[in-house]
Parts: sequence; structure tokens; C-alpha cells
Amino acid sequence: MSKTALVVDDSRTMRQMVAFTLTNAGFTVIEAEDGKDAVSKVAAGTKLDIVVTDLNMPEMDGITLIKKLRQLTAYKFTPILMLTTESAMEKKKEGKEAGATGWIVKPFNPDVLLKTIAKVLPA
Amino acid sequence: MSNDFAQFQDAFFEEAAEHLAVVEEGLLELEQHPEDRDLLNKIFRSAHSIKGASGMFGFSAVAQFTHKMETLLDLLRNGQKVVTPQIADLLLKSTDCLKTLIDAAKTGASVDNETVQRLAAELAAASALNAPPAGQSADPAKAAAVMSIDHAHVYTIHWTPPEWLFQRGLDPLQIFKELGALGTLSEVKVDDSRLPDVADMDPERCYLSWSMRVRTGKDRQVVEAVFEFVREDSVLTIEEVRGEASGVKGEGHRSSAPPYASPLTSEGSEDEPKPLGEILVESGVVSREALDGALAQQKRVGEILIEQHAASPQQVEQALQKQRKMEAAAQSKKTDTASIRVDTDKIDKLINLVGELVITQSMLSDLGARFEMSQMPVLLERVAQLERNTREIQERVMSIRMLPIGTAFARFPRLVRDLSAKAGKKIQLVLSGEETELDKTVIESINDPLTHLVRNSADHGLEAPEERLDNNKPELGTIRLNAFHAGGSICITVEDDGRGLNRNKILAKAIKQGLISENDKLPDDQIWSLIFKPGFSTAEKITDISGRGVGMDVVKRNIETLGGTVSIKTTEGRGTVFTLKLPLTLAIIEGMTIRVGQETYIVPLLSILESIQPKAGMIKTVVEKGELINVRGTYLPVVRMYEVFSLQPEITDPTQAILLILETEGEQVAVMVDEILGQQQVVIKSMEQNFRKVEGIAGATILGDGTVGFILDVRGLLQIARQATQVAA
Repeated sequence: MSKTALVVDDSRTMRQMVAFTLTNAGFTVIEAEDGKDAVSKVAAGTKLDIVVTDLNMPEMDGITLIKKLRQLTAYKFTPILMLTTESAMEKKKEGKEAGATGWIVKPFNPDVLLKTIAKVLPA
Repeated sequence: MSNDFAQFQDAFFEEAAEHLAVVEEGLLELEQHPEDRDLLNKIFRSAHSIKGASGMFGFSAVAQFTHKMETLLDLLRNGQKVVTPQIADLLLKSTDCLKTLIDAAKTGASVDNETVQRLAAELAAASALNAPPAGQSADPAKAAAVMSIDHAHVYTIHWTPPEWLFQRGLDPLQIFKELGALGTLSEVKVDDSRLPDVADMDPERCYLSWSMRVRTGKDRQVVEAVFEFVREDSVLTIEEVRGEASGVKGEGHRSSAPPYASPLTSEGSEDEPKPLGEILVESGVVSREALDGALAQQKRVGEILIEQHAASPQQVEQALQKQRKMEAAAQSKKTDTASIRVDTDKIDKLINLVGELVITQSMLSDLGARFEMSQMPVLLERVAQLERNTREIQERVMSIRMLPIGTAFARFPRLVRDLSAKAGKKIQLVLSGEETELDKTVIESINDPLTHLVRNSADHGLEAPEERLDNNKPELGTIRLNAFHAGGSICITVEDDGRGLNRNKILAKAIKQGLISENDKLPDDQIWSLIFKPGFSTAEKITDISGRGVGMDVVKRNIETLGGTVSIKTTEGRGTVFTLKLPLTLAIIEGMTIRVGQETYIVPLLSILESIQPKAGMIKTVVEKGELINVRGTYLPVVRMYEVFSLQPEITDPTQAILLILETEGEQVAVMVDEILGQQQVVIKSMEQNFRKVEGIAGATILGDGTVGFILDVRGLLQIARQATQVAA
């Protein structure tokens, strides 16, 4: 069974690129355009193997999303990677405190994305 | 590697344009509400998105510049800096600059580096707290790229992870696996001394720590990178054991393949097949000089064909010109992406309708398979249904091309702001009807005319503040842009509450330029339309903004090319309203079908003023002017359609035929045809795209009986008629 990834980014292009890379690597991808959208899309307790989320987003930002997901039993231990730019590295700390598993620094190439995911993905 | 994402570039440019618009609008609004945090956040997010995505495509100039803007915006939204007019201005200028940078990334054009540098420096200066992030060396990919594989190392590692390890979705097992993949992992020992009694134990916490030994060909950085996500919160020591590493050369192997093999490996351009000459040089068969010599002798196809007399030099030259044109067209296409984003709702409805169409079609073919005359009413009903389906689909498809005109209006707040600063006038812009939808191509084509009208209103229409106060008007001048539907057309008005058009000034100028004579008595309407004559400008001094006498005629011509009209309403001292009336779409026109001999033509309905059947004596032939017809005192040139298109007419006597009085660009012409068939909507098919340009023909369409009908280009027809009389004279 293929693994399921939740990709959250308000930037259409970024989201499509991440989704494209993951789909090609065999993932089933759920796309969401911000935290609120993401929460509503997994409200039914959809099985998720990995979450990749941007931090700066309207409606609900990435940090809040991570906190919300961690509060749900289904996603208590799901790996969550945040997409961040170098300048926002201080966000890293905030993200970790919220429960993020790791981070990917933008800009990245597909290989780094997949390697980082492999790093945290439960076997 | 980032080439893998190249297919998303167009999407990026489209999105970047949207974000730029958000930034610009936001900044303009910010000038009114400098304290609005939500607004600042919105602007910041858009800038941030541009930065993030541009980096992905390697547009580093864009990314770096946006980063500078973002830094300043971040300080503003955090309240560490206050929005001053200077800062707002700087950010607006930077947005312009960013726009240029993005365009440059798109088209490969060069950028004015000086401006970029200057603005970047200003941005940095404005972000006084700006501390550039010190070199981020923790990029594991980079570290991995520079590692040496020839030296094997042995490391002993002690790792005490943070207790909340699991709560962040981290699994120590993953770490061991990754370390194992680097080389040989051995002597893994777990330290459970911190493990509390079962009663006190929280199963979601991690109480363990580990020590282990890794033998690998990788550098220390690579080993550290394994702990990337936990290093800062763990107690971690990695020590290299010296003296043990010898003799294990080659044991370390290249980084293991990721569990998810990437199918995205780029096919580098090196893989492209090389030219023959290159291969010959490489394999030593010929020298580089010999190859260059041979290449110099190589002739172009055109030259060879001319030598062989297969083609004349002129023909080759023509073909070359055509090629250049095609190249230029391809180039311009590249800069102007023709994609459109459509509401999925619209597409869903369309698919639904296509479904209905399919049902109707199958019902009809079912009926056709065993048709009897008694079923005639059923047939008629089905055909009516088909007609309904078709019309609905047509409407829906058209609506896909429809965009709200707000996209065209969006640039005006900025324009007016800049204009008011430049002209020293206080101007407010009021927009309404932004949601009015019209065809994408029409929107694109009205940008320039609209800009000109708004500039014109700001510069000529509105008075200076003192003058306004003297005339008991509010100091603040108003320009209103409004759009609304009126029947099958859309009306856009540009209205100002300025001084209005000056009748005497316009008349004086027109007489001076010889456009009219002093004795002409003109109604107001015609006086106002004088300002659309080429070279006409009554502005006493030429300003930076307008008044060069070019423009209003161009506005009119552009609008008429779109099949629209411009009209003026003005009251002296009260203001002026320009009304643009445009067709909703360019793809379908309302036409009058006419017949000449056996041929059917379509005349755009908008250009027809009236049709008459002349009496004998109304038509006179004047030397050098050809045939003229006297219509209520005005002499108009007569064009016999059959002469222009070399047809065999049914009628050659004008008194038996019908004369259509057509108008284009203020000129009138009487066109002689055999018969008027009726009025109908026709879909324009381009001649240039499918065949080639034909003078006097604007396009073609398929008529009800399946034959092709040509749509007349009235302006072209007029030109042909003029040339004909000149030749005859």
C-alpha cells in the first residue's frame, strides 16, 4: 500500500512541486493550501505517513497546524517536516517546540526532499 | 537537479504575478493604514512566497532581492519598525524592481543592475536591525557533496536524546538505520539507567541513551547530519578514534540510495547527441582547424537552392523574413503566457452540459435509425433540445475566457498615486464594477487606452488644488473608474470632476490645424470628438505625463480595433466622462449577411449606419475621386463590392442595388451589394492563422448551410477603394 503524504503550502507552485515529487516517488498526496484547509482535510482521521508543511500561511500558520495535529491521537507520532527558508531558521526552534520532526530548507531539490523524508519516515 | 522543477516555471511566473499584485495593492493600502498588522502579514507572506519559489528555480537575483524586502517587511510586521511614507515609497519602488527582475528571469532580458543594487542597499539601510544570517553551513546536501570517500573514519558516538523525542515523531531506530547506511555500525549499547519505575513511567517519553561505534568513509559532518533534527536538543558527542582507520580503505561506500528512489534524475544536456564534427575531432580523425575550415565552407540551404536555380534570391529572402517573423512571434509568445486559470466550478458545469449534449445526440441518432414521418414532432423537440444544449455550452465556454475587469483596474491605484505626486495634485481614485466580467483578450487590449484616459484625466482634467479651491470645489479631485454590462456590450467609464473640455479652445486649435473651417457650425458631440484627431492636444504646456498630442487618437483606434466605441460627455467646470463601449468578446460578432453575386459576406453590425437604395441622380462621378453618392447633402465615396473582389454581380445599376453606409474611424463609405440577407451572430475564424492575410477581409466564418463566409474589414475596404481611384486617376 502506498504511503500517504499531506502537503500544506499556500504557494500554489511550491505545493505542486512538492506534491509532484512525492507522487513520483510513489506517495498518495493530499494537498492543502493552509493550516485550516489541512485540518479540515484530515478531520476524518485519514491515515498519514508524513506531513510536509510550509510555515507562513494565511488562515492557520504551520506552527499552529503542527500543534493541532499533535493534539490528535492519530497524528501524535506522525513525522512532520516543515518547509522553511534560511532567514526563518529561528522558526525552526518554534516548530520543534510545537512538535515538528524536522525541516527542509528552501530552496531544495527533489533529492533532498526525498532524502529528508526517508530520514524520518517510519519503516 | 533543480531542472526537474523546470516544468513548474510557468506556474511560478503566474503565481509570482499574483503575489506582486498583492504586495503592490497592500503597500498602497498601507499608506492609508500604516498600523494594519494583518495587511503587513499579507504583504510579507506574498513576498515570502516569491522568495521561496524563486529560489527553487535558481532565480537567485529574485530570491536575494525579495529577501531584502522581506527582512524589512518582517521588521515592520513585528513592530520593530514603523511604516513611514519613505519606507512605503521604498517598498513600492522595490516592488517595481522585483517585477523587472522576475520579468528578466522569465525572458532572459538584462536588468539595470545599478537600480537593483541601489534599492537593495536602501532596503538594507532601512532595515537597521538587519543582521544577515551567518553562513548556514549545516546544509547536509552540500556537506555530502564535498565529502571525501577515500579516508575511512571510526567514530564513537554517545547520544542522549531529549525526553520528548517521540512526541516530535522522531524514532531512534531511524537514526541507527541511517548510521548503518553510512558504513558499519557496531557496539551499540543502550543505557537504561534513567529508566524510572514502571509506575512512574510515561510511555511517550524517551529515557534511554546510547553509545555506539561507526566505521565509515564519510566525514564527521555527514555523521552529524544524521542527527540534524535532534542535535541541538540532545547531549551528543561524536569522537573520531585515531589509528584504527587504516586498512579499512574502501569499506565506506557512497551514500546509500534513499528508500524512495527518485525517478526524477535529470537528463543533463551533456547527454544530447553531439554534432558529427565534434565526434570526429574527439576521436582524432580530423583536427579542430580542419573541422572549422570545413564548417566555413558549408553553405546555407538558401544559397545552394539559389545556385541550383531552384529558387530566386527574392523567394529565399521572403522565406527568411517569414522565418524571422515566426521566430519573433515565438519569442513574444514566450514572454506573454497565454494560460488562464479557471474556476473548477465553471469546468464542472461545462462537463455537465457536455454530458447532456451526448445524451441528446444519442437520442437523436436513436430516432434517426428508425425514423417515420409520424415522429416529426419528436424530432423537432429533440432538435430544439440540441439547440438549447449548444447555446448553453457556447455561453459557458465563452465564460471561461471571461475575467473580472478588476484585474485591469488593479494597476490604477498605483498609477494615480504616482501621477498625483508628480503633478502636485490631490487625487482620489474610486473604482466600481470590478467584478464585471469580460473576455481576457479584451481586458489585455484595453489596458493601454484606459491608462491613457486616466493619465489624461489626472493631467488635463483635474485642476491644481488652488484653482479647485478658487472655484469652490473640494481640494481633493476625484477620478472614477466604473464598469458595467449594457446589453451585449460592456461599458467602462473614466470620469473626473475637473474642469471639463473647453469648447472654444478645442475649436480654435482645430481651426488652426485646418481640421475644420471657421464657418463650420458643429454640434457639441462633434467638437468633443475632435480631440481624437491625430496630433490634437490643447494642453498649453507639455508635461511629463501627457500632452504630447499622441494618444487620444491611439485610444480611439485601439478601441475601434476591438469593435468598440468611445464617447465623451463633458460639462465645463464640472468634469468629463469618457465612455468606452466594448463587445464582450472578440470571438463572436453580430453581423449582417449580404450577398454579391453568388458570394455571401458578413458586415460587422457595429459599422453599419444605414442602408439605402439610391435614386437616379444621387450618384455622380467626379474626376480623381471616382463615384460619389449624395446622402442628404454629404458626398460619400461609393465602393462596388464586385469590383473590389472581382465578382460576377447580379446588379450593376446602383439604383437597383442596395448601398450600405458604413463608418470606420469617423470616415464613411457607401458599399454597393446585391442583397441584404439578414442579421446573425458569427464566430470569427482568423484568416492569418489558417491561411494568410487578405486585404479587405477581417476573417471568415462558417455559415448555416456549411459554406464559408468572409467577414468584411471595413477599413481595409476603404483603403482598397482609395487605391483603386488613385490608379484610375
